[in-house]
Amino acid sequence: MLGEGIRDISIDVPRDAYDTGKEVPTFSAYLIAVVRDSEGKIIKVHRQRSRSPTANFIGLLLPIIYFSNTNNSYSIVNTGNSSNSYQPALSQYAGNISYPNTSSGSPTYLVMIQVGSGQQSNPYSAYSLAAPIANGSGSGQLVYSQPSLPTNIIASGNSAYFVVSQTLNNQSGGTVTITEVGIIVNVQLSKPYFQQSSSFGQVLVWYDVLSSSISVANGGSVTIYYTFTVNP
Amino acid sequence: MVTPDLVSEEDIAKLIIPDDLPDEPTFKAYIEAKVYDKEGHLIQHHTQPMRSLTQYFLALISIPILGTWSGVSSSSAQGILVNVLGLPSNSGAYASITWNWSIQLGSGTQAFSPTLTSLAAPIANGTGGGELLYQGLSVTYAGTSIFVTLTVANYTSASITVSEIGLQGTIYIYWYQSNSSSYSFLLSYDTFSTPVTVPANGMAVFQITLSFTG
Repeated sequence: MLGEGIRDISIDVPRDAYDTGKEVPTFSAYLIAVVRDSEGKIIKVHRQRSRSPTANFIGLLLPIIYFSNTNNSYSIVNTGNSSNSYQPALSQYAGNISYPNTSSGSPTYLVMIQVGSGQQSNPYSAYSLAAPIANGSGSGQLVYSQPSLPTNIIASGNSAYFVVSQTLNNQSGGTVTITEVGIIVNVQLSKPYFQQSSSFGQVLVWYDVLSSSISVANGGSVTIYYTFTVNP
Repeated sequence: MVTPDLVSEEDIAKLIIPDDLPDEPTFKAYIEAKVYDKEGHLIQHHTQPMRSLTQYFLALISIPILGTWSGVSSSSAQGILVNVLGLPSNSGAYASITWNWSIQLGSGTQAFSPTLTSLAAPIANGTGGGELLYQGLSVTYAGTSIFVTLTVANYTSASITVSEIGLQGTIYIYWYQSNSSSYSFLLSYDTFSTPVTVPANGMAVFQITLSFTG
């Protein structure tokens, strides 16, 4: 009874379902940068849509059924441009993302919201910032504080969101200009049965070029906020 | 732009919620249904935007964005996993996490809430009255778009009407020398603007497209 047409189902987005511009998207991400001067006074708030998950993000989000149906692995490329084969499975023998425990010491965690002074045109294939700004007080550097992770999702009506942020202080002696931002996660795999862990290293999962550059004066700071929201 | 001093992350978030930025959105999602009669002829083709992701979808994508640990020196899970998904904060022994997706169809309707946990009236997997046989699920991707496709068949003698659809996720945690634990969530919930009717001995293909390209 099954029709031949089943083989021909298009995976393209149906043209008659495209947004008309009048409807609100169901998921949005935003990048906000709050710049303060040396006295802590807010001197600029930069806001833009964040639109650039990387290929690493897509690979880490894919469900098991993709890997079990295709028997494919996914190449996760770390910030050192080294490829790592990712092929999770429903098994304690498989190399899945590590989960918090007191035995392995192999955390998968948010390393930082990294800023840079370069830019690149294809965020999807980006594996690192074009010109990362180093952590420090030397010329052209910024002091990275610890990222602030959300402890919950904030729901209001049909909407819900979470915010992750990080503050960077300028102790370089001069102005530092930011043009790109990315989220860096340290990814480790764990094979519980074998009590084994392996590291992918630091992985860029989200990347944005700022719509306009941000200058942080000496003694000042910038706090980067990423907001991820559904049904805004 | 100079803005008065801000005191909390919530205040910052209020600057952008509701959205007032003019450029294109980051994410678009679509639902498509194709219905075939018993002879394999396409008899209905329905498409609509997806509108209703739940907070559990946000919680799931927090894993690739935030990781699973709350920090490099911590052995506790990041808060969203514990407080939204109800996962354990710490497993003790070596542990890993992974997840799977599926599509659930239903014959009811209900108001959307980001905390919805199930469809109003799920259609069971089977060949009995009012049931559909869930024959195959696949997930593929192209660039920043992910496609989830479900094929169902109606082996009953009566038509079955599908009025709601949800993307479901199940998270699995594996531990050393023990079995896994699983946690299931509703990642999205939508009602069809026009119900989809699968005739007796017919079949249907439902596809959810998640496109992260703005």
